[in-house]
Amino acid sequence: MEEGGARMGLKDALPGGGTSSVTGGMFGDGSPTFLTSKIDWIINWSRRNSLWPMPFGTACCAIEMMASAASNYDLARFGMERMSFSPRQADVLICAGRVPYKLAPVLRRIWDQMPQPKWCVSMGACASSGGVFDVYSMVQGIDTIIPVDVYVPGCPPRPEGLIYGLMMIQEKIREESLSRHFEHRAEDPSSVARPHANDAQVIGLTGPFGNSTQQEELSNKEPGTRGELPEELLP
Amino acid sequence: MSKRTVEFNVGRNPEMGIDGSVVDSPILPFDIPEPDLDTENMLINIGPQHPATHGVLRLVCELDGETVKRVIPHIGYLHSSFEKLGEYRTWNQVVPLTDRMDYLAPLIYNCAYVMTVEKLMGIEVTERCKVVRVICMEMDRIFSHLLWLGTTAIDVGAFTPFLYAFQERERIYQLHEAFTGARITTSATRVGGMMADLPEGWTDGLQDFLDTFPDTLEEIDRLLTRNQIHIGRSQGIGAISAEDAINSGFTGANLRACGVDYDVRKDQPYYDYETYDFEIPVGQHGDCYDRYLCRMEEMRQSVSLLRQALERLPGGPIDVEDPNISLPSKTDCMSDMESMIHHFKLITDGIPAPEGDCYMPIEGSKGELGMYIVAEEGGTKPVRWRIRPPSLVNLSVLPKLAEEHLVSDLIMINASLDIVLGEIDR
Amino acid sequence: MLDETKTGLDTVEGGPQLSGKSTDSSGGKMDDPDGHPSVIALLSQFGDAVSGHRVFAGTQHVVWIDSACNLEILRWLREQQDHQYDMISDITAVDYGAGRPIEVVYQLFSTVYKRALRVRCKLPLDGLEIDSIVELWSAANWLEREVYDLFGVTFRKHPDLRRILMPHDYEEGHPLRKDFPLRGRFSRAEQTRRALDQSVEHSYIAEEMDLGRDPQQATPIIGTKDGDE
Ligand code: SF4
Repeated sequence: MEEGGARMGLKDALPGGGTSSVTGGMFGDGSPTFLTSKIDWIINWSRRNSLWPMPFGTACCAIEMMASAASNYDLARFGMERMSFSPRQADVLICAGRVPYKLAPVLRRIWDQMPQPKWCVSMGACASSGGVFDVYSMVQGIDTIIPVDVYVPGCPPRPEGLIYGLMMIQEKIREESLSRHFEHRAEDPSSVARPHANDAQVIGLTGPFGNSTQQEELSNKEPGTRGELPEELLP
Repeated sequence: MSKRTVEFNVGRNPEMGIDGSVVDSPILPFDIPEPDLDTENMLINIGPQHPATHGVLRLVCELDGETVKRVIPHIGYLHSSFEKLGEYRTWNQVVPLTDRMDYLAPLIYNCAYVMTVEKLMGIEVTERCKVVRVICMEMDRIFSHLLWLGTTAIDVGAFTPFLYAFQERERIYQLHEAFTGARITTSATRVGGMMADLPEGWTDGLQDFLDTFPDTLEEIDRLLTRNQIHIGRSQGIGAISAEDAINSGFTGANLRACGVDYDVRKDQPYYDYETYDFEIPVGQHGDCYDRYLCRMEEMRQSVSLLRQALERLPGGPIDVEDPNISLPSKTDCMSDMESMIHHFKLITDGIPAPEGDCYMPIEGSKGELGMYIVAEEGGTKPVRWRIRPPSLVNLSVLPKLAEEHLVSDLIMINASLDIVLGEIDR
Repeated sequence: MLDETKTGLDTVEGGPQLSGKSTDSSGGKMDDPDGHPSVIALLSQFGDAVSGHRVFAGTQHVVWIDSACNLEILRWLREQQDHQYDMISDITAVDYGAGRPIEVVYQLFSTVYKRALRVRCKLPLDGLEIDSIVELWSAANWLEREVYDLFGVTFRKHPDLRRILMPHDYEEGHPLRKDFPLRGRFSRAEQTRRALDQSVEHSYIAEEMDLGRDPQQATPIIGTKDGDE
């Protein structure tokens, strides 16, 4: 978008007009080559603008998800015209609402059925942490079951919140590179139908303040660090 | 060799012909010879993650070809143990749980719960509070019926009513938000009153809504009521007799579609419903189409009820003037030591209840919504808090309704029952 | 499996406050039955089986009856011309904790006379059995299953008595009992593991269709297994 599609490569090749961003590629001795970054850009551009969400809506948050798909908020503006009710054709799992233990294997099965590349948005307090339902029947955060990329807070989050969460997924895709595909997208076949977190993590997460202190561990982030986004990439 | 006649009788509505004639001819009159083969019934599973089950309901169906021989609904995929959680909370702390149960009509649940607690404690709320609660409940009846209308229309293949319905819902969302600060999880009621009085200008917003909503409703009505496809898919589908319906616990619009004029607002009136002027729509055939008609008419009646309530909305305080029940005002708390202690005591200790139990039915958007509360002498938390879930009882009839229908009819029947899984599983 | 954080948490919360003052919810009392014709008729017809009557919240009449004759009395209430309680609004149970009996509650309503009546039966903890009333009202089917699931009350001659809300192989017990901890008996890690160990296919078996057709044959397939026993 701001790079302006085809002109982006030209900008690299023609220094001039202020600061040049050329630091490597085929003109220098740096690592990422010109060709790869170009394909990355096209692939990421197409991926992030045609995300097909798989709505896994269970409770109140699902109503807000429906509201964001309906006329006023119109999720289709972000390339999410087609809600994919089959996991086989979906890219983003939007888990909206409470997930009891009885539903946990179903959620895991759906996640396993989705082909890579795939992302997951956990919408609402219940999906992210169990919320007010710290009871015998409820999963305390779906990140114990499946990996989560974006947590949308709120009870329920407003449609704007969900849209912002999906835009964060788009930002995340923008940073991906084919050269690191296997690192990002590797999946251990033996993890199919197994919990995402191990016992110690589950206990840590469900303990007092567990969700606010230990959640980053499960989302593959060092505790306390924030990825620095360049100014122009901020949504 | 057996023969089966497939015929669609679309002619029940005499006004339906394009040229004004009474249409009563089968669309597709032909005989299908059934091949003489060994057949086996097939087992298919719908849900729990399926867009047509309106939530996380699972239906296991036994099919003979496309005919449903037997359905077994499985529920509990959203069991969040509200009733157990309520036993650990004081009377007022339970209120936020109630609207998470039925997220389609949150204010009705808020009101039903506090009404039961007030009845048990013998609290008489103020006149203004009564009218405000009636406004809340009727508004949410429309709110819930609109979602039902939109999703049911999608199930029969019409997408436009969904968008229309959601546009109107969006306006009620805004009214919710202006009043309570939240779009769905309103938690607007407190024992002995409301969380706050109506904000300034709110009634004008509601009046605006009432002025234009009937037009949209008529528009949706034009799209569906005489729509051949809609009629073909709902007339004569999932019919049940009045006697069976009562026996199996049907309530709400589902029961009224069978011709029984049971409405809690008329039969066990609360909040002066007997003084309002409104009618109870009653169907004749007890099928999906009649349920649709009843709900459409109920929305119109709700509009008229809302108009009447706005007219009679009295002034005065909204909370009862009892220091043991109502909190002191926020300004007093910040400036006055006694009020602050009073506030603190009331919040931490809760309101003591007398010994006993209380069951209070109200007419929810799905049917008779009962709250049942058991308290101990002086207890500030419920010993037992039970919700009589209208959708659960309505859904338990589904196997009976869907027998010998087609699979696509099963979807229509399920949609026409207007269930909400949050309240079925609790 | 022991979970250290769990024991810490359980002491934090208050839990249901039970004064333990009254040992009997009916108090053995008989309020004045005036004002409710069905209560007067019940007392004269089934004098011995009616063990208490109270009026709560001003207008709500509650009758305690002997659990052995619930079917008989409810049938009488349903079929008598002067009463005709043709609608069962609700069936539920109440556990008062501290070893007191669990009470099954029937909420009746007559669409003919527009009258409501609440009937309660006490069941001692060592004899949680009562006759099913599905033959009177088919609405009772799921409601009784729910009471069975959450309280462990067995309904005799129920056509299809199995868990309804909890998974059919749930092993922690009956959650709405007062002695059941809010967060369940197992640790969260154990609960998560057990949840994912349930094979999704497990409940998609053809035998499921035999359920409810023949209760005798159906019971072993899917769960009447009890956690506590
Ligand atoms: S986070 Fe709130 S709104 Fe969302 S499912 Fe949970 S209770 Fe409902």
